[in-house]
Amino acid sequence: MTERRFDGVGATPTVGVGTARWYRPVDVTALGEPPDPETVSAAAERKRFETAQDKAATELEAERERTRERVGDDEANVFDAHLQFLRDPQIEAGVDEQLDGGLPGPHAVYAAFEDPIAQFERMDGMMAERADDLRDIRDRLLRLLTDTARTDLGALADGSVILAELLTPSDTAQLDPEAVAGIATIKGGRTAHAAIIARSLGIPAVVGIGEDLNQIDDGTEVVVDGQNGVVIADPDESTRTRARESTEIPVIDEPVSTADGIEIEVAANLGTPAEAQPAVAKGADGVGLFRTEFLFQDRTAAPDETEQYEAFLSVCETFSEQIDDPRIVVRTLDVGGDKPIEYLDLDPEQNGFLGARGIRLSLDEHADLFETQLRALLRVAATDAGGGLAVMFPLVSTVEELEAALEQVDRVARSLDDENIDYAIPELGVMIETPASTYLADAFAERVEFLSIGTNDLTQYIQSAQRDLDRMSDYQDPLAPAVLRAVDRTVRAGHEGGAWVGMCGEMAGNPELTELLVGLGLDELSMSAVTVPAVKTAIRETDTERATVLAESALAVDTLADVQDLL
Amino acid sequence: MERTLTVVPEDGLHARPAATFVETASNFDADVTVEAVDGNRPPVAADSMLGVTGLGVRGGDDVRLVADGPEAEAALDALERILSTPEDELDEMELP
Repeated sequence: MTERRFDGVGATPTVGVGTARWYRPVDVTALGEPPDPETVSAAAERKRFETAQDKAATELEAERERTRERVGDDEANVFDAHLQFLRDPQIEAGVDEQLDGGLPGPHAVYAAFEDPIAQFERMDGMMAERADDLRDIRDRLLRLLTDTARTDLGALADGSVILAELLTPSDTAQLDPEAVAGIATIKGGRTAHAAIIARSLGIPAVVGIGEDLNQIDDGTEVVVDGQNGVVIADPDESTRTRARESTEIPVIDEPVSTADGIEIEVAANLGTPAEAQPAVAKGADGVGLFRTEFLFQDRTAAPDETEQYEAFLSVCETFSEQIDDPRIVVRTLDVGGDKPIEYLDLDPEQNGFLGARGIRLSLDEHADLFETQLRALLRVAATDAGGGLAVMFPLVSTVEELEAALEQVDRVARSLDDENIDYAIPELGVMIETPASTYLADAFAERVEFLSIGTNDLTQYIQSAQRDLDRMSDYQDPLAPAVLRAVDRTVRAGHEGGAWVGMCGEMAGNPELTELLVGLGLDELSMSAVTVPAVKTAIRETDTERATVLAESALAVDTLADVQDLL
Repeated sequence: MERTLTVVPEDGLHARPAATFVETASNFDADVTVEAVDGNRPPVAADSMLGVTGLGVRGGDDVRLVADGPEAEAALDALERILSTPEDELDEMELP
């Protein structure tokens, strides 16, 4: 059988393989004709409704706590809203009216929810999602009123891939991340509850696939590739192998060395504090790139010092509680380019890839944000958990910029000192992502403790081809000879200046390139947590002497095709 | 008695702030209604999640609260505090 592909939206950057299990909750809304009102006791039905209401509240409270523990407060709050809807006086009045009219409990509930659901459906955006919440509450009441057994999502066989129309918050609260190999839904987007919870639990998920998903039958072998937003049914041998490789490589929860004993740090790139625990679980030694943009996105004003302090501290704590002396590299705010922030009023041209972005903004119009962020970082560095904190500046292209940033660190330190607030100066570093920075790597290395190569931007700038243009995608290969030579130059200059040199772009997470990167002399590789086990495994299999020969050969050829041939 | 004020939580009377608002409203011996000043919907009961979220009030919108009953003033004070607190600070608030 040939494999079938179903495109959707990737919600978790992980891949899973398993057996398809359709989750089709019993349709509790199929109630049939109501009985003759004469045979219905309004008092008994009212009692029946109240009992269901109480049971629903007990369930909701339990699900709220479970979600709070496993996912976080934000998602748990959904259940607070549900509890309010459950006891809503307007809905209760509606149910009462229907009961007085002689309907039994289930029919009364169904009727009482009809208008409110229709009302929210007519509204737009976020309000329309409330209609889903109301349906979820209605169906919970109907299930309890009709004594319908709940489809137990928590008791799925190991290795199940759940296929569903849509997963409600109540559904997802039951999921056991150990048993579920993946989730694929017909409806929903990246911000749907199912997607958010899947991300927090590290379950591979593809959402919004559409009705085509119905073509997959129960029992079919399915690959859920959240990285590429595709579900593949009846995968052929090579697809299956690739998917298994990325899922079944054992986690190595200790630092690794090459076969000849050179230790290479393998760290994770994080976008939010919630990703810290899944990264530890994948065996990351630390964090090589903690992007701070999440703190600034999807809101109307910048976060204050306390909020940032808490976010940085929580990542440091998650790691230091489980790993000895983890290094946590935090990148200062890197907006502009392809990363807009609504309230910062950035202009696509002025702040585009070649405009004011990264450190340029932090030293100029957003110096206030930079200062607040540095205050939070220096304070975290003074905590017990924050001993391994390191701070990295993005998009530096001149020594003047670096010196201005370092001066700002000094100023912040002095002012914390004046205020008698505990602080420490963390390890400082520069992200190497512009051609200029590769030429100045020696000068940077004399001034900071580390350099970290961001291969995505470095490739775009070295190749002079914009990252987000499809037509330019052929230029975006970091194996291009010009990019490899820039990496080589940076590592050498960094080491000569006494700095350690890491890499935190996509390239670092490709286990097929690990030998080459070891050969180029990188001290640290940082990547999506999901690829940490594969890269750690590859490092253990690498012999540095052979790796060096490979790197020298790759640097000696002049075309991308020749580089690829060597690998 | 009534009071008109501007909603601070950026998402308006939605999800979390709405749940807190409704819960608080139901804790006072007072009948409180709320309406959007610029809206064309009738006032709704402040203790109804359905009514309150159905207003579609967003951050920056003005709402009018009308309260009647022995604890009308205390109810208005408490609800005003909720509407004046950014969502991420709601946790630290002591609610009646």
